[in-house]
Amino acid sequence: MGGQPLYLAPRLGEELRSLLESPGLLHNLTDAFGSPLNVVVPDQLAANVERFRSVFGSHHLSGQVFFAHKANRSSALLRRLAVTDAGVDVASLGELQHALGAGLTPDRITATGPKDPEFLWLAARTSVTVVVDGVGELEQLAMKVRKFTLPRVRVLLRLSGFEASGVRVLSRPSRFGTPAGEVEALLEAVERHGDAVDLTGVAYHLDTTSLTEKATALEGCLRVLEECRSRGLRPSAVDIGGGFGVDYLADGEQWERYTTALTDAVLGTGPPLTWGGHGYGLRNEAGTLRGTLGLYPAHRPVAGPRYLDELLAHPATFFGGRPLAALLLEHLYDLHVEPGRALLDQCGLTLAKVMEVRPQKNGGELLVRLAAKADDVALEEHGVLMDPVVVPRHPDRPAAGPVAVHLFGSLCLETDLITRRTVFLPRRPEPGDLLVFANTAGYCMDFHATRAQGQPVARKIAAWQEGGAWRWCLDDQYWPTVSMGGQQ
Amino acid sequence: MALVPGRPVLADRIHGGTTVRYDSITEAIGNTPLVRIDPAVHGLAHTDLYAKLELLNPFGSVKDRAAWNMARPLLADAAAHGSQVVELSSGNTAKALAVLAGMHGLTFKSVTNRMRVPEIKDLLLLLGAEIEELPGQSECLDPTATDDPLTLFHRTLSEQDAAYLHTDQYFNPRNTEAHLTGTGPEILKDLDGRAPDWFIACVGTAGSSTGVARALREHDPAVRVLGLVAAKSDFIPGIRTIDEAHEVGLFDPSTYDTIEAVGSDDAIEGMLTLNRRCGILAGPTGGAAFFGAVRRLKAIDGELSERQTAVFVVCDRVESYLSYVRQRRPDLFGRPRRRNTPADLTHADIQTAPAIGVTDAQAWIATGRPLVVDLRSPFAFAALHIDGSVNIVDELFEELLHGGLPFSHNRPVLLACPVGEKSARYAALLTRMGHPDVRGLAGGIIAWRDAGAPLVRD
Repeated sequence: MGGQPLYLAPRLGEELRSLLESPGLLHNLTDAFGSPLNVVVPDQLAANVERFRSVFGSHHLSGQVFFAHKANRSSALLRRLAVTDAGVDVASLGELQHALGAGLTPDRITATGPKDPEFLWLAARTSVTVVVDGVGELEQLAMKVRKFTLPRVRVLLRLSGFEASGVRVLSRPSRFGTPAGEVEALLEAVERHGDAVDLTGVAYHLDTTSLTEKATALEGCLRVLEECRSRGLRPSAVDIGGGFGVDYLADGEQWERYTTALTDAVLGTGPPLTWGGHGYGLRNEAGTLRGTLGLYPAHRPVAGPRYLDELLAHPATFFGGRPLAALLLEHLYDLHVEPGRALLDQCGLTLAKVMEVRPQKNGGELLVRLAAKADDVALEEHGVLMDPVVVPRHPDRPAAGPVAVHLFGSLCLETDLITRRTVFLPRRPEPGDLLVFANTAGYCMDFHATRAQGQPVARKIAAWQEGGAWRWCLDDQYWPTVSMGGQQ
Repeated sequence: MALVPGRPVLADRIHGGTTVRYDSITEAIGNTPLVRIDPAVHGLAHTDLYAKLELLNPFGSVKDRAAWNMARPLLADAAAHGSQVVELSSGNTAKALAVLAGMHGLTFKSVTNRMRVPEIKDLLLLLGAEIEELPGQSECLDPTATDDPLTLFHRTLSEQDAAYLHTDQYFNPRNTEAHLTGTGPEILKDLDGRAPDWFIACVGTAGSSTGVARALREHDPAVRVLGLVAAKSDFIPGIRTIDEAHEVGLFDPSTYDTIEAVGSDDAIEGMLTLNRRCGILAGPTGGAAFFGAVRRLKAIDGELSERQTAVFVVCDRVESYLSYVRQRRPDLFGRPRRRNTPADLTHADIQTAPAIGVTDAQAWIATGRPLVVDLRSPFAFAALHIDGSVNIVDELFEELLHGGLPFSHNRPVLLACPVGEKSARYAALLTRMGHPDVRGLAGGIIAWRDAGAPLVRD
């Protein structure tokens, strides 16, 4: 292995660290339930809700934190959420049924995304809040309400295409929502169907890490709400979606060293760092770096609740530079947020058993094959570069290392690579060891997993601490009564 | 002695130059002075350190040279076709191009993802530039997406019938040439025909460092060139990090004998030294060059037996970076304490501030006729407010109080804010200032609304 190992160590909270320090438990679980295996930590979700709540508190804002269900299908997480004061954002009929069944009452559920008639009907029947995409959807909803004599449905209008002042921001166009400039027809429809729908506010969700773009959108929402009020409507909330991000890595310097080394590798001035010279979006054109680094900013100190805090403190250009939080407060609006990934920060990990460790003749990286497919550990799919942790089968085995490895999946397919980069591990893995991918609960557990080639998808375990020891059950066996001492 | 044929030399009566009279402001580009830094400031015993004052270019920066050299040959044609001048720039190049475009009856558009200094953005808008900002990275990343915003930008430029004059500063050899034929020879001339031992420059487009380095080395291959980049997690306007430098077509690592990183704190320290002790009103980039130069030269100065000469570039001026500096060094903007500010209040003052609940407040308004002051912003006030109230936004109210009580003693006052927090502070302050009958609305406008009390819009 040439040069210094380029580690990208995961950031580990207390719960995940404690799990990793329980190698016997992790090996017992994979022996019983197979590899790959997902472990979720429901209590961490409750703690994360509190952290978001405290940001609301520090800005004196009222409103609601909605967990974006699509980030993880776990029942345990949802049932634990039901015990908190948070809500859930569902994007399909199945997710809505799941949320209702987990104990979330309709006043704590919003339905978003593309909706089929069944989804729309169940949402209206159970009186959950519906985030409406446009005039067409609003009319479908109103028709259902009248046809089935349902109660008036609370709706939020999803907006997009906001315009900034002074500069034109080349934001990615969204396929969802109604452009803020064309909102008049939508408001007319709301008035026309006032017997069937009750406007409670507006919503946006922008797919960007940029704080200023989101601030522009929030300002745009305030202007639309003002128009609602001038029409005599009485909106009370702004839903600003999610996308607050997660800080995956423990050490910012490792991230900086790694990305510089990747640049050098692409330019050919440093050793290669990937399988087949993959550049993660970068390429070398006559000695100049071209392209865009297609990676998640894995070291991201301002993420999650801190990101929300900065967004709320951001000055609004249209409104005399007052912070957005002050504007929401002064206009008497509730704030709704819909974090997915950020609410699941530190809420779980994925275990994969090492099947084979093959040295190469030329002494290059070790070729390590795991009992897991790339889609079981979707970190790479999301552009998140983060090292797994080696949990040896036999804890007393003397450590050999560090080593550079390539991680292959279990499919009979050349491209089934857990990651395309060379991974540096502080100790050499052996067959039977576990590689533990930390912090996978947000989008990286079940969103992409398939049954390709008849291989099973990972099973899911819910784990919690009780009296200093770890307890666990199958995910769908988990109820708050089990973990929170309610059985007596 | 004119170094560039047909071009006037810097007019300087002391040194026998010509009269300073031009037909166009563009003639004032270049021929900037070289000024020696007082050794008492830099503390180097064996080094003569000179600053090349590019901040004295007419539009304010070193980029005036490159912008003019790149645009000049294309302007006539662009004017004939009504083309728009476009460049990827968030700073000085955009500023220079905006001026040059305007002078030639053209419009200018700057496309940028780094417009992080608000003064520059406002200045560009003031100069009539159009600004397009690239979006932030996608939160739900699609690794298969190949159409990054920059690729789309280049595609737009190459569309048929697209009338653009793209100066392409990161790849245009005329950027480097402006310094190869201008800045570099000027330094040689001002050092009496000798090349300095060291040349120090920050790497932005790499145009100035590459061009000057080439000119100096053609004269004397022994010149050592120090390139300065921003520390990776840091941001200094006009300087790239080492990874970003690799994205620049003009950047060739072999131009530099050494490449070193400078942090923004050090850049600001260097800037303050130039501003306060040398009378050179440099911005943070010039500060970074000065700091990087002294740091490098200090390491070797003690071992020198002969005197050596070093030149660094002062790119631009401090005035455009006040908010940048304020964000990083609020201590520099400490203002004298003012009378009657809420900051003087103790926690106990605020806790015991006179307050009144919604029901009592409604009765008081009906009988005592207090002046109801709503401290929220005008936009929120316009949307919904207590009937008969007066809107004085908190910032303005605070200003008013510095001058004394803005109400008669005998006029009762009810203060209202969103949740009763700000009104408590101002009620405490007004009480301390001697007002006998001021109260905050407990729970604020939100409690008022929640109690079902009427709110109106006018």
